[in-house]
Amino acid sequence: MSPPLVAMHGIEKHFGGVEAVRDVSVALNPGEVVGVLGHNGAGKSCLMRILSGAMAASGGHIEVDGKPVRIDSPQDARAHGIETIYQTLALANHLDAPANLFLGRELKTRWGNLDDRRMLSEARKALHRLNPNFKNLGDPVARLSGGQRQVIAIARAIYFDVKILIMDEPTAALGPSETAMVADLIKTLKAEGIGIFLVSHDMHDVFDLCDRVMVMNKGANVGDHDIRDVTKDDVLSLIVKGTLPEGWAPRRAVA
Amino acid sequence: MHRLSALATLVLLIALFSFGNPAFLSVNNGLTILLQTSVIGLLAIGMTLVIITGGIDLSVGSVLALAGVVAGLAIKAGAPVPLGMALGVAAGAACGAVNGFVITKMRITPFVATLGMMMVARGLALQLTGAAPISRLGNTFGTLGNGSLFRIVEEGANGFPRVVFPGIPYPVILLAVLALGGAYLLNRRSIGRHIYAVGSNEEAARLSGVRVDATKIWAYTASGALAGVAGMVLMSRLVTVQPNEGVMYELDAIAASVIGGASLMGGVGSISGSMIGAFIIGVLRNGLNMAGTSAFIQQIVIGVVVIAAVFIDQMRNRQ
Ligand SMILES: Nc1ncnc2c1ncn2[C@@H]1O[C@H](COP(=O)(O)OP(=O)(O)OP(=O)(O)O)[C@@H](O)[C@H]1O
Ligand SMILES: [Mg+2]
Repeated sequence: MSPPLVAMHGIEKHFGGVEAVRDVSVALNPGEVVGVLGHNGAGKSCLMRILSGAMAASGGHIEVDGKPVRIDSPQDARAHGIETIYQTLALANHLDAPANLFLGRELKTRWGNLDDRRMLSEARKALHRLNPNFKNLGDPVARLSGGQRQVIAIARAIYFDVKILIMDEPTAALGPSETAMVADLIKTLKAEGIGIFLVSHDMHDVFDLCDRVMVMNKGANVGDHDIRDVTKDDVLSLIVKGTLPEGWAPRRAVA
Repeated sequence: MHRLSALATLVLLIALFSFGNPAFLSVNNGLTILLQTSVIGLLAIGMTLVIITGGIDLSVGSVLALAGVVAGLAIKAGAPVPLGMALGVAAGAACGAVNGFVITKMRITPFVATLGMMMVARGLALQLTGAAPISRLGNTFGTLGNGSLFRIVEEGANGFPRVVFPGIPYPVILLAVLALGGAYLLNRRSIGRHIYAVGSNEEAARLSGVRVDATKIWAYTASGALAGVAGMVLMSRLVTVQPNEGVMYELDAIAASVIGGASLMGGVGSISGSMIGAFIIGVLRNGLNMAGTSAFIQQIVIGVVVIAAVFIDQMRNRQ
């Protein structure tokens, strides 16, 4: 069997006395969608930010394609094909959608000037794939709706060569049709062999889209299960109590 | 939008002053205003870059003086004028780079870091010269500040030369070239895009792969270098290096940027706006001077204009 796309081993993160992430190991295979669940403050975003180079881990190591790598900056992560949709979206409010989409990776003309025309047309294509009604591409994103902003953050993550996609609550601000669009997008990306970490509080989405769930409780990984082995109640128990219900056995074995 | 109203204000001021005194609108006075504004304009270019990143540079007035002192000492030591001036500009850039380093690597806020540099650079300039001016730098030293292009002089009927067109002063040309260059970098190059991004949302810029520290150091270095250029222009105009020149110039430069629409919160501003702001200040000074208003009243008027400009801008944004 080929090595996983990415494997995190024994990841730790402390903030002074606060242990945000405690000895968490998790792996992601090509074409696999892994749901990352947990109560508020469980450490999901911290774990994801460590993988995307936004936050330095206090301990542990990361392998990409079976090879140990150092991810010290967002640039490092991108170089390994890791793209992230941050829970905070990470958009520059005064810039317009194309400028945000290409921020840090601007398209340039032969002379090294910004190629705003090409960035606009590329951005329009990328955004319309997610929301055909996306207009006002020239407005500063501060003036756009929460959903439109989220669409820009998603488009930015998938526009470039992505192998591993981290989605930290990507549909939190989206309406039902955009949420459905994102669900379709996840299925398409999955079919292309892209691995996805999906952080979500929406049990329905998780069971609809994920192959596996990993539950965090107070910073620790308290369960990593094939989605077919657990029910919503099992996952809820992991989230709330940190343990599976008494007498639990893999549901597939029982059935 | 802001730039339009600033431009309208400028035009209105010019109309007002010309109505009061027809001599205001003469070619000669126009060139005087351009010349007087060029130093503040040069400083305002760098200040705008820094303000857009969400920072501030309080050191430019002192750096201007230090750059002049470095150039003066180099020329006194035998360096040709162009080399001496290049060293002066380099000294300005070095001060700016130190500002950028202190702000990004030592994590000192821009206000404090550049306040420190303001004192250090002024102290150095005074220490190196013993607080005395450096004079007798030769005529070439005065060319940059006093020369002009397309000067037309014809021999009058009485045999005396008559100035048909006084020419465009070199400082004005320098300001135009550097303002255009600054606007080009800010609008057409990725460094400009990154400057806006850093000022708009530093964390987002970092997560997007923008080298935030390098971008800020770049902006402060540019501001320092431009303060150096402004120092060359000013000292050349006086044909003397004055180590105590440029006091409070940073405040004029900040005022020009703010009148021109730059936000001290970062992410907003433009070179063209700041140039309009610099000329509003220049026209006010010149016009009030010609009207015989005292320098104290001028201070008051400019202070009120700064606050009014920002207030009107905020009112409009709230609507
Ligand atoms: N920059 C920081 N400094 C200090 N503590 C932090 C920081 N970031 C996160 N924490 C702490 O780490 C813990 C985990 O936070 P994290 O953001 O990973 O939670 P989460 O699981 O993503 O929660 P949510 O569902 O609300 O998004 C929390 O207790 C939080 O207070
Ligand atoms: Mg989170």
